[in-house]
Amino acid sequence: MESIKDEFLSEEDLDIRNLDEEALEYYWNMWLEQAQSTNEYDKDRYSHGVFAVD
Amino acid sequence: MNIYVELTRKFNEGRLRAILSSGQAVVLHRLAVMSKDGDWLLREECDVFDHILKVLDSYGARYRFGAPLDMRWMVGGWSSHFEFMSGNLRVRTDFVCRPPRISPSRLESIWREQETRSFPFVDLIDLISLKKTNREKDYAVIGEIARKIIDVDDQLRYSRSARDIMELCLAFPESATRIASERPVLVNVSGDLEKLEVALDAERRKLMHENENRLQRYIKAASPWSEQWKLKEKMVEGRSLIESHNALVKNAEGCLPFDVEKQDGYSGVN
Repeated sequence: MESIKDEFLSEEDLDIRNLDEEALEYYWNMWLEQAQSTNEYDKDRYSHGVFAVD
Repeated sequence: MNIYVELTRKFNEGRLRAILSSGQAVVLHRLAVMSKDGDWLLREECDVFDHILKVLDSYGARYRFGAPLDMRWMVGGWSSHFEFMSGNLRVRTDFVCRPPRISPSRLESIWREQETRSFPFVDLIDLISLKKTNREKDYAVIGEIARKIIDVDDQLRYSRSARDIMELCLAFPESATRIASERPVLVNVSGDLEKLEVALDAERRKLMHENENRLQRYIKAASPWSEQWKLKEKMVEGRSLIESHNALVKNAEGCLPFDVEKQDGYSGVN
């Protein structure tokens, strides 16, 4: 039986380590397209730089 | 081609000008896809800014609220922000020249090291420094990055897992003693998992507050510019990015201070 370890990101997130270049790019682009659904919600947000607020 | 890869290649046509950073670098390190926006470190050269603006202009980008992409603000630690549509994608591009928590000497080394890379994106250790923000989710990323690091000393410096740290301290006691002088949480490792977890939580909170305080100084300094922004945004509506840039630079002068840290009597890299 495996011992318990601290977890940070999900196995689903981390699964991109197993993708080849082509599959990674496909998944990356697909993720970005799906993430557009929150554009209205985060239209005034800054995720980086000195104005970053979440 | 992925838009952030495409942009990075265009920013660096002919020579190295921009290093892909933060969330999209996390993807390239095969950790997770968790950010919609692109962030880059820029070289501190005026013609670099001209090139970046030209590339962004070719995509029909517009300024978001922030500092103009001008040397005087960028060396003061400010960030510049742009946005455009690429097909169905809203693309946001964020730039800094003086990233937080990265020392001037390390920054010099980053540029030297990246010169020989075929595709420039920040290394794991620098990514950890950049991710020490005030957002909880960034510490999950740091936790995973630390597990990708091979060097034991660096694992001890950056691990977010109490269990991993306890195992490392048992296996490498000399390294643990050495690194404990620079990372106080390691002093608490004595087989007491709960005590170490509490120390790690406190360490994270301290880092988050340090970043909040840093952002607060910039937000306060940007207050007069923020009040004028809607008007200025309207003023440049419909103009090309280059024209908008020139107009915004003139308007920001005297309104947005160049150097926030010096103005506040603050010195440091965090």
